[in-house]
Amino acid sequence: MRSMASRRLVCGALLASALALGACGGDDDGSAPSAGDTGIPEEFAAPTAPPDDVRAGGELTVLATGDVDFMDPGAAWYQFTYMVTTAAHRTLLAWRPGSTKAPSPDLASGEPEVSDDGLEVTFEIREGVRFSPPVDREVTAADVEYAIERGLLPGVANGYIPTYLADVTGLEEAAEEAADDPTGGAPDVPGITATDDRTLVIELDRPTAATVIQALSLPISAPVPEDYAARHDAENPSTYGNHVAFTGPYMVEADEDGELAGYTPGREIRMVRNPNWDREASGDFRPAHLDSIRIAEGFDDTGSASRRILEGSAQVNGDFSPPPTVIRDAASGGAEGQMVASPSGGNRYIALNTQEPPFDDVDVRRAVLAASNRTALRNTRGGELIGPVANHFIPPGIPGFEAAGGVDGAGLDFLADPEGDIEVAASYMRAAGYESGRCEDDCEVTVIGESASPASETTEVFVDGLESLGFEVQSRDVARDVLYTRFCNVPEQMPHVCPSVGWLKDFNDGLSILQPTFDGGAINDAANANWPLLDVREINEAIAAAELVEDPDERAERWGEIDTMITERAPAVPYVWDNQVNLRSADVAGVINLFNANWDLAFTSLSG
Amino acid sequence: MIGYVVWRLLGAVALLVVVSALVFAIFNVLPAADPATLRAGKSATPEQVEAIRESLGLDDPLLVRFGRYMAGVFTPFEGGPLNLGTSIFQNNEPVLAIVADRLPATAFLVAGAVVLWIGIAVPVGVASALRRRSALDRATMITTLAFVSAPVFWLGLVALYLFADDVGLISVFPGVGAYDEADGLLAKAWTLVLPWTVLALGTAAIYARYIRAEMIGAMEEDYVRTARAKGVPERRVVLNHALRSAITPVVTLLGLDLGLLLAGNAILTESVFNVPGIGREVVTAIDRSDYELIQGIVLFGAFFIVIANLIVDVVYAYLDPRVRF
Repeated sequence: MRSMASRRLVCGALLASALALGACGGDDDGSAPSAGDTGIPEEFAAPTAPPDDVRAGGELTVLATGDVDFMDPGAAWYQFTYMVTTAAHRTLLAWRPGSTKAPSPDLASGEPEVSDDGLEVTFEIREGVRFSPPVDREVTAADVEYAIERGLLPGVANGYIPTYLADVTGLEEAAEEAADDPTGGAPDVPGITATDDRTLVIELDRPTAATVIQALSLPISAPVPEDYAARHDAENPSTYGNHVAFTGPYMVEADEDGELAGYTPGREIRMVRNPNWDREASGDFRPAHLDSIRIAEGFDDTGSASRRILEGSAQVNGDFSPPPTVIRDAASGGAEGQMVASPSGGNRYIALNTQEPPFDDVDVRRAVLAASNRTALRNTRGGELIGPVANHFIPPGIPGFEAAGGVDGAGLDFLADPEGDIEVAASYMRAAGYESGRCEDDCEVTVIGESASPASETTEVFVDGLESLGFEVQSRDVARDVLYTRFCNVPEQMPHVCPSVGWLKDFNDGLSILQPTFDGGAINDAANANWPLLDVREINEAIAAAELVEDPDERAERWGEIDTMITERAPAVPYVWDNQVNLRSADVAGVINLFNANWDLAFTSLSG
Repeated sequence: MIGYVVWRLLGAVALLVVVSALVFAIFNVLPAADPATLRAGKSATPEQVEAIRESLGLDDPLLVRFGRYMAGVFTPFEGGPLNLGTSIFQNNEPVLAIVADRLPATAFLVAGAVVLWIGIAVPVGVASALRRRSALDRATMITTLAFVSAPVFWLGLVALYLFADDVGLISVFPGVGAYDEADGLLAKAWTLVLPWTVLALGTAAIYARYIRAEMIGAMEEDYVRTARAKGVPERRVVLNHALRSAITPVVTLLGLDLGLLLAGNAILTESVFNVPGIGREVVTAIDRSDYELIQGIVLFGAFFIVIANLIVDVVYAYLDPRVRF
């Protein structure tokens, strides 16, 4: 899902959260974070089930600042895009609105079967699921196999496959084959086999079935008909994104050839009901109350867009959070029930380069954490309402959060005071060999942050903390994409500090938060997300072992322990677990999907 | 005249090649985001990024890439001679197709704003010049100074919060995003009243001050005194003699300002009011680091400016009989 860059991290003001889900309907699995963990007042709790008296029909307008990343489900990874994909595609597994513990069978007719040795996962595909026009035929297991295999083509380039499906037998060789011949068609992955029309078997080299199953709740498992898509995949980049075949209750309006006439990038997405979708025949859990959905893009001024939603009719927000002024007005009673909040499943932190002096010394890093005013850092993002001050990395709602100490953390002294403790900081500096408790010699550090607000303010606050320890800070601000693709994601160019990073879960598992960001094995030359360059053998081994654990409770415990191990090493300054604020017009019976922390368009309806 | 136009068009082609090279250099030589990494998205492996880089030829030498880009620009598209390149972030869509989709909104916005600002600037400038140091003159000049000083994005937001029918204090004009929702030319024109006004006010203020200065000079010329001495009515003296002379340099200015408008204030206005024009597309392209699209749009903008200046020069010759090519 959406991650570090601004398109990627959900920017803007976010409201603190607490979910009183019991009051919101019966679609949750009891795993949602408590109000105490997220701090969302009950009146802003996100509804996760439609009301009893829903009104069928009507058009909903979603206001957005930007666009989806890719209409092609094989390439999609952006949180906002998931608003579209969850309503327009059936994936093997999918997340019900109130569910945070495990995805439910969707295109699969039941839970996947895992062999005793954990090396084989079998999905049975539902009958009665049909592609939208012009394909018009029933979905088979081969369509899912093709969907995953085409993701290896450079012209599709799904980032999740090599990350979470790396243990699928023969995947690496197939990826090389695709790279060598980008327009030669999807490579065959020996470990993915449609044994008949209804059965998909995935063979693994290591027993990482738990990860694979969660990853197949992402859009990559949305079926793609090879007979229709192959000609588009023969181009580089693939042009299937202009000709997508849908299986969900809604589809993007298309002409008779399947070209998406309803999609104008950066401008508008018009979604209509998929004429080939039959809820009963296809066993879909989505009610799909609306007749049509219009996503209107380009609303750069989120203040006026927010007010338009609150004062208008049949509208919700898409990819933006309302600005602090709107949150303040709405929170003070101006829009009862129209503003809701939910934990995003993401965190924000300031990465310290653990490979270069002075931050290669764990005591110096602990000193920096102790000196940092994390409350002030959090407040640069919008204050108390945007989320709790973080003191470790797994956010509320993700298994492992409680095992890592919950909202209180692991009791580490250098994170004890969220407003910073200069005495504790000085003691760690002395432990690192700085006798005065401050750096006095060779103290220059480089900080490269994002130039846009509020990230630039976050950098300023952090620099104050660094300077209080005697460091001479050379601070430079650059554009967001330049920051990531030229500096923070490139280990050779990594400065001492990358202050504008954060991570949003891909699915609800500790692995998806900690493995890409703190596993030494995940460090790579070009697209690195282990920004602190943390490479600690014990942590790497613990991560490798936790990947293989299947029991959910034990798995959560293991990832919680790993979170504590990482936090003890102080590779970064965690300062907020983000919440996501959403808005609706008064006549919208909105339903939030906690997995995506956004409106679930297939459950939302109009009221009155 | 025809020879001159042909000569200018040939010069325009050379200029566009130079502009292309400059824009290409900005994104490929100076530090900029890496399109392969951005295209790969979250969680991509280095192998994936490299595969994308290689498959799109992003690892080729600069000159090869520039040559390929120029070849891409002049790839025929739907019967025309060029497609201005293709967008790798929009499923290989030709830039020309994207521009063509966005051009009507921008053209409508700019044309309306130009009509409005000339319509405001000429009478205000003339009236101020004819009543120098009067209360009217002082009031209009102070007002124009205020509008010259106001950034267009700020003016746009103020206008919205005052007059938009969804979030305004006084619901009068359609607000943000109304253009796309309107059907028909008149309905779309109605949605552009606020954007036109916002876009026109700042420039109208500059033009009013400019026309005032030109008119003051013209009214003191010998030919005006002669016309008056011959008994020509004052109205004809002002409109046919002084204004015609005063407005000639303004036409030149207009050619330059059309370019500035497209490169600056039109982008801001389209962003504030969510008018789906070329300016908004540029913002989207920059947000995605979609360099080929940015380059194509810049190329199109440069072409537009060159043509606009050519038209201005022709009009100049018509207005001023002394000018000959």
